[in-house]
Amino acid sequence: MLSDDELLRYSRHLLLEDVGKTGQEALKKANVLIIGMGGLGSPASLYLAAAGIGHLVLSDFDNIEVSNLQRQITYQSDDIGESKVEVTKRKLQQINPDIKVRSINKAMPEEQLTMELTMADLVLDCTDNMAARQMINKACVNAKVPLIVGAAIRLEGQLMFFDHSHADSSCYHCLFPDSEEQTLNCSNSGIIGPVVGTIGTLQALEAIKYFVGLPSGIKNKLKLFDGKSLDWQTFAINKDPKCTVCGQH
Amino acid sequence: MKIHVNEQIVELADNSNIEQLLTYLDKPLMGSAIAVNQEIISRSHWADTILNEGDNISLFQAIAGG
Repeated sequence: MLSDDELLRYSRHLLLEDVGKTGQEALKKANVLIIGMGGLGSPASLYLAAAGIGHLVLSDFDNIEVSNLQRQITYQSDDIGESKVEVTKRKLQQINPDIKVRSINKAMPEEQLTMELTMADLVLDCTDNMAARQMINKACVNAKVPLIVGAAIRLEGQLMFFDHSHADSSCYHCLFPDSEEQTLNCSNSGIIGPVVGTIGTLQALEAIKYFVGLPSGIKNKLKLFDGKSLDWQTFAINKDPKCTVCGQH
Repeated sequence: MKIHVNEQIVELADNSNIEQLLTYLDKPLMGSAIAVNQEIISRSHWADTILNEGDNISLFQAIAGG
């Protein structure tokens, strides 16, 4: 049940036939794990807190640095040196005191991630390195937890949704089987803030749609965003039967 | 035969597979993903996926930033 305060706070959701009271109550019950509180995790967590996702778990091991402030919009100059998850938690609670926010101020080892997944309905991969992305994908496949993956560098973004609650879902490893760190990241390639912000924002949108029961147009698909032309390309990701993570091995 | 790679025309020997295309283009296999006519082809199928005249190939890299 929604309180009078909640009916007012979420009135713009409640006006939507696609959300309504049922959808808002589903958001309130939802548990979302967001891994990485950088350029993706900033807008994703702000929007999900504002939208009334009832339980948010935030994971990151970094402290805020001055070079983060160009794009990681949760943070301000006063926050430099503080823990990203603690600052984010405080700000999310200021935006929405009705939700529960828990912070994990460390790089989670696989066992802890697996434990966290027993409590998560959905995971957002907002990390900045390939090793973490591969570990999160594998854990979500094994735990059958849906995973929304975002990534961005320069003026390019990538967005994917793998619903691991369905056994026939493809996975991140079907698309990118390499775990070596030869890939591109923000520290070695640069990034423009609104590009990574666009992708993080869309991760939040897909999460909200998932809980209110709207179909996703990007399951088992890769969306590539070109920040120069603003063009999107869409590719189907078929399950690889030989995938060492989600296949028959 | 002629195929399109990232919207550029590439002339390639008939019956070439994806691995041969990447070698021809001098592109690394590691960290790359490839789509033929908007469908991602998994790495395990690069050697047995034969390209056809007029195919639209998209070649891009994994990005990890966030």
